[in-house]
Parts: sequence; structure tokens; C-alpha cells
Amino acid sequence: MEMGRDLALLAPELTLAAAAMLMIIAEMARAARLALAIGLAGLAAATFLTLPLLSADATVFGGTYRIDLISGWAKLILLPGTALSLLLVRAEIAGRPREGSVHALIVLVTLGALMLAGAGDMMVVVIGVVLTGLGSFALVAWPRDDAATEAAMKYLVFGAVTGSVMIYGLTFWFGGAGSTLFSELGQLQGQTLVTIAGLVAVIVGLGYKGSLVPFHFWAPDAYQGAPVSIAAYLSVITKAAAFFAFAQVLRDLPRDGGWPFALALIAAATMTYGYLAALVQTNLVRLIAYSSVAQSGYFLMGVVALGVTGFAIPGLLVFAAAYVAMNLGAFAIVLLAGRDLTDLEGFGRTYPWSGVAMVTFLLSLTGIPPLFGFLGKFYLLSAAVDAGFLWLAVIGILNSVLALGVYLRLVVPMYRGPRPISLPGTPAPLTLTAILIAFVATLFMGLIAQILPGL
Amino acid sequence: MPLLTIATFLPILAGLALMALPDRSTRMAHAVSIMATGAVFLITLAIWARGITASDFAQIEEIAWIPAIGAAYRLGVDGLSLPLVLLTSLLFVLSAIYSARIGERAASYVVLILMLETASLGTFMALDGLLFYIFFEVSLVGMYFMIAGWGYEDRQRAALMFFLYTLLGSLPLLLAIIGLYLGSGTFDMRVWVEGAALGGFPAMLALIAMLITFAVKIPAFPVHTWLPAAHVQAPTAGSVILAGVMLKFGTYGLVRFAYQMTPEAFAQAGQVILAFGVVSALYGAFAALAQSDLKKMIAYTSVNHMGYVVMGVAIAALATEPRIRTIALDGATLQMVSHGLVTGALFFLVGMLQDRAHTRGIGDFGGLLGRAPWLGWAFILSAFASLGLPGLAHFPAEFQIFLATLNGMPWGLVAILAIVVTAALYLRAIASVFLGEMNDKWAEMPDLDRREKLVVLPLLVLTILVGVAPGWLIDMIHTTMTGLGN
Repeated sequence: MEMGRDLALLAPELTLAAAAMLMIIAEMARAARLALAIGLAGLAAATFLTLPLLSADATVFGGTYRIDLISGWAKLILLPGTALSLLLVRAEIAGRPREGSVHALIVLVTLGALMLAGAGDMMVVVIGVVLTGLGSFALVAWPRDDAATEAAMKYLVFGAVTGSVMIYGLTFWFGGAGSTLFSELGQLQGQTLVTIAGLVAVIVGLGYKGSLVPFHFWAPDAYQGAPVSIAAYLSVITKAAAFFAFAQVLRDLPRDGGWPFALALIAAATMTYGYLAALVQTNLVRLIAYSSVAQSGYFLMGVVALGVTGFAIPGLLVFAAAYVAMNLGAFAIVLLAGRDLTDLEGFGRTYPWSGVAMVTFLLSLTGIPPLFGFLGKFYLLSAAVDAGFLWLAVIGILNSVLALGVYLRLVVPMYRGPRPISLPGTPAPLTLTAILIAFVATLFMGLIAQILPGL
Repeated sequence: MPLLTIATFLPILAGLALMALPDRSTRMAHAVSIMATGAVFLITLAIWARGITASDFAQIEEIAWIPAIGAAYRLGVDGLSLPLVLLTSLLFVLSAIYSARIGERAASYVVLILMLETASLGTFMALDGLLFYIFFEVSLVGMYFMIAGWGYEDRQRAALMFFLYTLLGSLPLLLAIIGLYLGSGTFDMRVWVEGAALGGFPAMLALIAMLITFAVKIPAFPVHTWLPAAHVQAPTAGSVILAGVMLKFGTYGLVRFAYQMTPEAFAQAGQVILAFGVVSALYGAFAALAQSDLKKMIAYTSVNHMGYVVMGVAIAALATEPRIRTIALDGATLQMVSHGLVTGALFFLVGMLQDRAHTRGIGDFGGLLGRAPWLGWAFILSAFASLGLPGLAHFPAEFQIFLATLNGMPWGLVAILAIVVTAALYLRAIASVFLGEMNDKWAEMPDLDRREKLVVLPLLVLTILVGVAPGWLIDMIHTTMTGLGN
């Protein structure tokens, strides 16, 4: 009976796991298109199965896995985001060897991301980190060239070290609270030293996943070494999952020992460093990589405010949804234009509509209203102010100006230079489809936000 | 009928329709632009005809938007916003007519103009803090692309500077809006203007944030430095919209947000704000005197005229007598409209001069009055209006501001010196451009054609009308300001 209820609540995850297995079988038969079709169908089915569970607030398997507002909306954000990524992957590497493995790995990594977003127990977080990590290393290494191998190696070593630190630190919490369940973390009240020791470990482990400064070093290299579509995928799905996991872990943690302040410092450092580093990049992929490091700082503003304001969780969710749409969109444009800043020269004149879409993504990343990214940032800034971190909100706002400087470096060349005489080939329809979906979401979701969580 | 909503969104919808049309030729684009802005102008006249109420906002249009956080789509007008709405729709239709000569990427240009009109009307009519901010920021994006795409030689740098400067300027407002929201639990500006959303130290912080934003927008000394660069590089219609409409966002916000929402803090800071107004008025006048570029000169006189508006609002906060406060606010609001009419006309005329001569240097001309009498007399009339000659639009506004200053804070009257300086600089400009020895280079210069007369004449007529018989305008403003002054 209990088992049956648990399985019903896990229907989206189980569907996705089944799809991933079938995809691997399809890949064994060298049927990459079939694998893609199964993947898209599985993602669609899992999304659909999530809808009736949105109002649920339950746990399964003895409290270790949560079916709640965060994990429900995480699915509605991550699953469609993964589907968009699969379209981009197909557009970029169609027909290349081992294409089906990439699709299958992506679906498996997303499964890990869902585990992170629903984690109610330390061990589930560990499983989520490992599952997303192992799949991601393989994805980065996929091209089998030197750059990709080096990037994957860095990514792996970094991941192994931070993962071990996290597991080691979590043992403090287990010792202090007498349980691995997050819902028991309240037991740590008063044990400041234990709280901090465990928290440092969590920040190291999840901060690496979410590419927070100073655990971000792998991100630009990994994104640059991997195919653009895989970089796009990693930059949104695993990152958003890391912040959902932060929310699950920290919302039960007593707010003593000054950790919100320490996290606020990391948030400020992350956004500032990310944009400053992005300002001097000439490689488009690295530029967007650093800009997404900066966006992690905004995510962290919501984490800082957890538990003291009603804006924190809606803020994280709205911003995650916006971030998935706009960052995937920007990467899709890179796929269309090329990996170097100079490739954008005249892009807006060659592809007027894609140019408008790119400008929209970039303005949304800056946080210009009425775009989706503005709404997310607005919630996060409100959360920070409401939680008493006015200075952090001020830094977030100052960084928006830096952000504009970064993104205008892309907009200006797009409308400069003569219109090319001939178009460089017809863009893949799949890329255009992905751009269109991301564009519509970025443009309109901010205006119809009342359909989003807790709104 | 929801006329406010129709007026706000008709332009952008027309722009979208144009983008969807198979025929996006230059002719078609300008036809859509003129028809849409013309229709909006007529709609705003209908809004005017419906009238306003004495104590509150009128013609409210409200739909739930994000109910959980108390944000809603709310529009409405009062005696402060309605004159600006009328000014906006007039300047946009004239800009659309003037721009009909633009052939380069006309469809994109028209879409930007229409987007700017939606943003401008929305900014003045929004009664929801979040909605206001959205319109306020969208206008930046539109203006950035207009300067960067259709400006003069150094447009990229000017556009970038404009965007970064004003974005940095407008973000503090976002913090103030968040603060007002957290203090009141709603984004309804009608609740905020009751003045109770914030008090004490938080109110002062919010006021400082708002003052930074609006000072950049107005622009007041010392954060005016983006203005000359943006104006000089912007295309003519862009300059007209920037000076005529978008600078009013700053003064409108100064009254609607700073003065109405944090009244006690504003009164405490009144002397400082007055000082900034006086310094801006003087600085703008002297800086204009030093310019050799006509467009830059007019841009600096905007700093001067907007300085008077800041003075008026500050006096309204400082004065104890309701009568004086009302006079100050009446004058400040009328000054916003007058400046839109007069400076709009001046920027159009300089643009027309530049279309012909491809230079704006004051010293490059001479004796043009004989060659192009329409252009010359129109410029002379507007220049006289701009320097505050009685019988023209600026006089009743500046008279009321100075009258209130004399009664409230007499030291502020040092700003009158600025009028002398403006008179000098305009007379100098008129003398060297339109009088004196005719420069042979311009012997063939044509006078204004029909389209250009159509653009300038309405502004000249209104300049005289507001100067001679301002009652029809002041009465509407006064209805609301009496309530604000008490």
C-alpha cells in the first residue's frame, strides 16, 4: 500500500528512468533518431505526469525524497528545458557517431537533477550529485579531441574533490542531528560549529555544481571544450538543479552562525566576478559561461533569504524558469552564429528575427522589464531586501549595469557592418524551433506570471 | 471604452502589425506610423474631453495581474499626468510626420518610435508601481536602439553612454519601489500617494533612491552629462522625444513619487533639492552659453528649464501656505508642458537646418532669415519663448515658479540670473545664424516645405496660445494641484 502510493508519486521520475533505459537500448541498435524520439516522448510524458502532483506536499521512501512545490516546479522547468536541449543537440551533432549516447546521457543527467531538486535526505543529494556529475563528465568528453578531454578531466577532478569534501562534511550533520534527513536538521539548533562544518561542505559540493565563485573554474573550460548544445544544457539544467538542492537543504537549517551573511558575501563575489570576467572575453562561449557564473550569484540571493521571506522560493523558481529559457536561447544563437565574438558581426542583419530573439535574451539576462528575467530578478531582489540584505540587493542592482555592458558587447556588432552578400547556409530548423520556443517564453512569461508557483 | 489602454497599446500593436505585413516598404512603414500616432492623438483628445476629477485619479482601468503580490494592471489620469499625455501624443504624431523622410530601414525605425510611444504613455498613466517601472525601462531600450541605429557620427558611444547611465540611474528606483511595496503590501500607486507606505528613515532612503533616478532622468546637475552626448548624436525625432517626452519622466516622477509618496522626507530634504534645482538652472544656462553647436546649446537649455521645475517642486514641499504650494506645483507642471512644446519645436528646427546644411555649428551660418524666412521666424519665435518672453509658453510657468519662490524661499531667486544668460545666448544664436552677412554657401538653401511647416506650426500656435491664454491648461492642472498643495 505504502509502496504503491510512493510509486504513484514518483511517476515522472520512473517514466524518465524508463525512457533513459530504452534510449540506451535504441543506441545499441544504432538508432539515434529513435533514441531522440523516446527521449522527447519520455520528457513530455513526465512533464504531463507532474501536473496532477503540483499541489502535493508529500515525501516518499521514509521522508528521503520530497514531492513538494520546489520539486514539482523543478520538473516543469527542467523537463521542457531538457527537451529543448535535445533539439539543439540533434541540430548540432546529427548523424555523428554515438549521437544516441548523448541523448541518453542527457536524460540520465536530468534524472539526477530531479533527484537534487527533490532531495529530503543527505544521501539523496549525494546520489544526485554523482548521477549528474558522471553523466556530465562523459558529455563534455564526447568530442574525443584534446580540448574536450582536457575540459572533462578538469571537470572530473574538480567534481571528485568537491564531492568528497561534501560527503565528509555531511557526516558532521549526521553526527549532530542523529539522522540523514534534512527535516531533522532543526536538531542542530545551538550546535553552531557542527552546523557550519556541514554547511561549508554543502557549499563546496553544490557550489561547484552551481558554479559559484570560487568553485567556478571548471565552467568556462568545460563549456568551451564541449559541443555548444551540451554546454547549453549543462549551463542551465545542472545549475538550476544545484540551487533547487540548496533550497531543499537549507530551508530546514537553523539560521545561526551567520551563514546567511557568508552566503550573501559569496553571492556578491560571484555576480561581480562573473560579469567582470565576462567583460574581457573574446570567445562567445566563454563570455556566456562567465555571464552564467554571474547569474549564479543572483540565484544565491534567493538562497540567502530562505525561510525568512515568502519571496525566496517563488523567486528561485521564477528565476530558474527564466534563466533556463534565456540562457538556452542565447546558446542556441551561438550555435547558429559561431563560437567567436567576431562571428556575431552583422548577425542581426543576416537573420533579422534571430537577431531580435538574441537581443531579447540578452536584455532579459540583464534584467530589463517586462522580460522574464526581470521578473525573476525582481523577486530575488525583493527577497533580499525583505530578508534584511539591502546591501546585497544594491550590489545586485549595480551588477545589472555591468551586465548591460557585457551584453551590449554582443548587441553592438550584431548590427554593425555590411549585410553579407550570401547567407551562410540555411540554419537547422530544429535550432530555429528551439530559439522560437525560448524567445516566446522569455518575451511573454514575465507578463503572465500569475500562472507560476505561489503567485 | 478603455480609452487609456487603447491609447497605450495601439502604437505597439500597429508596430507588430507592420512587422507582420508582407509589404514593409518605406512608404508603408511611414503610413502606418502616421496613422497610428494620429489615431492615438485623437484618442488622447477624447480622454481629455472625458475630464478629470478634483481629488483623485480619473478614468481608472484595472485588471488583476499578479494578485498574490498585489500587482495589477492599473491605469488612470489626473491633472499632473493628463497634460503630459496630451503633450506626448502630439509630439509623437509630429515626429512621425517629420520622420517620413527617413528611408534607411524605415520599418525598424517606425517600430521603435511606436514602441517608445507605448512606453511613454504607459509611464505617465500607470498607477501600479511595477507597471510604471516596466514602461519606464522599456523606453530606455527603445531610445538606445534609436540612437545607435539612426544617430549621427559618434552614435555608438553616445547610445552606450545613454543606456548605461540611465540604467544605472533607474535601478535605485527599483529598490525604492520594492521598499514601498514591502511597506504597504501592494503595488497600487494610489495607496502609495497617500504617503503612508514608508516613514522615518526608510522613507528617507527611498527618497534618496528616487531622487538619484529622477535627477539622472531630468537631468539635474551633476548627473546631466549623458544628455548633451545623447542629444547631439540622436536623430532629430529622437531628440524631440528625448527632450519633449522622456525628460518629463524625471519631473513627473519627482512629483508623483518623491513629492507625493515620501512627503515628510521630501520636506526635510527640501532645501537641498531646491539648491540642486537652482544650481541646475544656472549651470544649464552658463553651459549653454559656452556651446558652439546649436543642438548642444538647446540640450543645455533643457537642463536650465528642468532646473526651474525642480525648484518649483522643492518650494511646494518647503512652503507652509497651501496657496503658495499650489502656485509652485501649477508652475512646475505647466513648465513641463511648455518645455515640451518649445524645445520640441527648437529641436525640429535645428534638425531641419541640419538636413539642409549638414552642420550645426553656430558660426557656420549667417543671414539665413532672408533666404529661409519660415525657418528663421519659427526659430526666433521658439527662441524667444525659450528665454521666457511674456506672451509665450514659458512665461506663465516660470512666473508662477518665481512667484512661489519669492514667497517661500527668496534666496532661490538667484536663479533669475539664468534668464538673463539664456536671453543672451539665444540673441547671440539668432544674430549669428539668421541675421548679419549672408554666407554664400547657403545661397541655395530652400525654405521649409509643406511637411515641415505641418510639423512646426502646431507647436508654434500652442506656444503662443499657452503664453497668451494659458487658462484652459492651467485649470486642468490646478484642479489636481489644489489637492496636492493642501
